[in-house]
Amino acid sequence: MASTAKKQGVGSVLWDYLTTVDHKKIAILYLIAGGFFFVLGGIEAMLIRIQLAVPNNDFLSAGLFNEVITMHGTTMIFLAAMPLLFAFMNATVPLQIGARDVAFPFLNALGVWLFIFGGIFLNLSWFLGGAPDAGWTSYASLSIASAGHGIDFYALGLQITGAGTLISGINFVTTIINMRAPGMTYMRMPLMTWTTLVASVLIVFAFPPLTIGIFLLMFDRMFGSSFFLVETGGNTIIWEHLFWIFGHPEVYILILPAFGIFSEIFSTFSRKRLFGYSAMVFATVLIGFFGFMVWAHHMFTVGLGPTANAIFAVATMAIAVPTGIKIFNWVATVWGGSIEFTTPMLYALAFIPSFTMGGVTGVMQAAAPADYQYHDSYFIVAHFHYVIVGGVVFGLLAGLHYYWPLMFGNMLSEKLGKITFVLFVIGFHTTFLIQHFLGLWGMPRRVFTYLDGQGYNTANIVSSIGALLMAIAVIILVINIIMTLAKNQRVGRDPWGDGRTLEWSLPLPVPYYNFAQTPLVRGLDAYWIEKKANNGKMMPAESLEDFHMPNNSFIPFVLSFGLFVAAFGALYFASGKEWAIDAVADLPQHPWALWVLILGLAITFGSMITRSLKDDLGYYVTKEEVLRDLEEEEQRREN
Amino acid sequence: MAEIKQEPMSKKKLEYVRRERTKEMRQQVVSFGLMIFFTFIAFGMVAMDIDASFVIPVVIGLAFVQVILQFFYFMHMKDKGHEFAKLFMMTGMFFALSFIVTFIYIVWIGSPI
Ligand code: HEM
Ligand SMILES: [Cu+2]
Repeated sequence: MASTAKKQGVGSVLWDYLTTVDHKKIAILYLIAGGFFFVLGGIEAMLIRIQLAVPNNDFLSAGLFNEVITMHGTTMIFLAAMPLLFAFMNATVPLQIGARDVAFPFLNALGVWLFIFGGIFLNLSWFLGGAPDAGWTSYASLSIASAGHGIDFYALGLQITGAGTLISGINFVTTIINMRAPGMTYMRMPLMTWTTLVASVLIVFAFPPLTIGIFLLMFDRMFGSSFFLVETGGNTIIWEHLFWIFGHPEVYILILPAFGIFSEIFSTFSRKRLFGYSAMVFATVLIGFFGFMVWAHHMFTVGLGPTANAIFAVATMAIAVPTGIKIFNWVATVWGGSIEFTTPMLYALAFIPSFTMGGVTGVMQAAAPADYQYHDSYFIVAHFHYVIVGGVVFGLLAGLHYYWPLMFGNMLSEKLGKITFVLFVIGFHTTFLIQHFLGLWGMPRRVFTYLDGQGYNTANIVSSIGALLMAIAVIILVINIIMTLAKNQRVGRDPWGDGRTLEWSLPLPVPYYNFAQTPLVRGLDAYWIEKKANNGKMMPAESLEDFHMPNNSFIPFVLSFGLFVAAFGALYFASGKEWAIDAVADLPQHPWALWVLILGLAITFGSMITRSLKDDLGYYVTKEEVLRDLEEEEQRREN
Repeated sequence: MAEIKQEPMSKKKLEYVRRERTKEMRQQVVSFGLMIFFTFIAFGMVAMDIDASFVIPVVIGLAFVQVILQFFYFMHMKDKGHEFAKLFMMTGMFFALSFIVTFIYIVWIGSPI
């Protein structure tokens, strides 16, 4: 298994990816699956914008419209943005801290397969009687009443992907705390690693409330309990609290790793150390902590009372302070640097004003009395797209260009990249800027059409044209990716020429064991220091010896597949039963549902037992093999 | 598939490790036994229809002791070198407590504040 891969058949490549526990390959799995769902969510977005382009449109029926917006939001948040961030976290973090893999490679594989199976399950709803239609927030008062199995697909699909996310979060926390190379102290960790750590901690604390909320919803809808059924003493507000206790930290889980990507890009392409590193770290941690204290700002109009609203309003506004610290530090990093306008850097520069605008509207909404006006209007849609697209999606696109050579060993075309950038940024502002005004003029969100003569027509058609520009930009990006992969022009170590952190010190493609010798880290921007002091060669922290690596395993795939099967059983369990809620009581009975549930759980527990009882001690990479690889790399460099 | 390579331990170290493990084991068994016992008491009191105003505080008290045992003897709160685990648990408790307090105030206890 030398690093210069032998020609492999399609079958063996496929098997390799189905069983892999290597964080670099798992990153690629996340990228492919997340990219697929991103395109799917994008198509749904286009459908929404086509429907709303002109008044009184009947392109989508009202019911279908609800399904499309629900699936758009759910797909984009859970199946596109988060997995794509996990792709970059997997691709970079172990390399940035000088580790040979994550702390629990097996769990890493389990995380990606749970996400993929959960995502597929959720999307099968389109073919099996209708998608969920209660919004991505799935408020219980709507979701309990929603007829058919759509909401059940939402609950079960998110439960499965959520388990994967939780597992990956735990994995990254452990990895970053325990697996850092000698000399890599906390205050020398690159910002991407720091933000990954804080985002993972947020996952660990935020996902359990969601899991509980969804379990209660599942029990209500599938097993006849009544946590949210008001007629029988339940309380639907509890769902809203549980959802937003998860939901607000979730937006920081999304934005923090994007902040990390941008921080790396700013300092690389300004050829400067990140300005105010310790303030950046402090702000990241502070944002993470405050993120848990503000959830009720999504519920100002529920009627919590003025005192409760005031407390949450002030807490929310407080978060703007650490966020502001970050913005100023990025500007100061670029200030006076020797700037290189690469595609990632362009996204980073466009991110600052775009995200700041989203932050400003956030503070406006945080003023509780004012929010009574904004709430559930297009103003909210404009706000969160400014932070999610202008922050997270810009970050993902920047990261895609920036880390592409690290993941695939070749470079995306800068020319096409810049065309994508221009179209995407113009399209983004065209789509969403005007939605602020639509909201202030009174257009509600989540309504499938509007009447002529209310003054909404022009703004809506402008918004839809902007969406078209973004779609074209994404198509050009896909063409760019296909062309780059087809040409496959290999690049070598440090392809951007200005790499500062450890991941760029490695040869490309990165050997499967990452580091022949664990590097010694002598300061922040470890690779940059060695470029200045040591001719760009990392100093080893250990002598060259055999080292231990984990075996591949097919169990994560089977284990996740078991839950996928079990979910079908749970889904159809309540159909037509007399104790079931009205939404599914009239459907035909499915006596096999229970057996499918049991079968699926048996597969899952069987895999767990196999994993526990079968000793899997991994293998050793020999010194000889590593030496051979090093020699080969030396020769390649001379040519 | 290779075996895990390990340095053989010196005899003294081996003895020390053994002693520590036995101690740890004893502590776990004892606290586990106590926890089961507490659970029995709680169930027993409810089954015997003792007055609720007595049962409720006692059960909550027992639950509290159980949580302490759980944290200290099973979740490493008593051990050195688990600073991160401790920090996480404290943070988790802080969040959980603030959620519960808000729930009690603005969801369950009558009128909004
Ligand atoms: C800069 C700090 C931020 C502040 C002060 C803020 C504030 C708010 C407030 C008060 C609302 C509730 C509005 C309402 O429902 O009436 C809201 C909604 C929302 N925010 Fe933010 N936010 C911030 C950052 C973010 C970020 C970074 C993201 C995502 C990456 C985000 C995503 C969302 C989403 C998805 C909603 C809509 C929820 C819904 O009603 O379905 N926000 N924000
Ligand atoms: Cu929020």
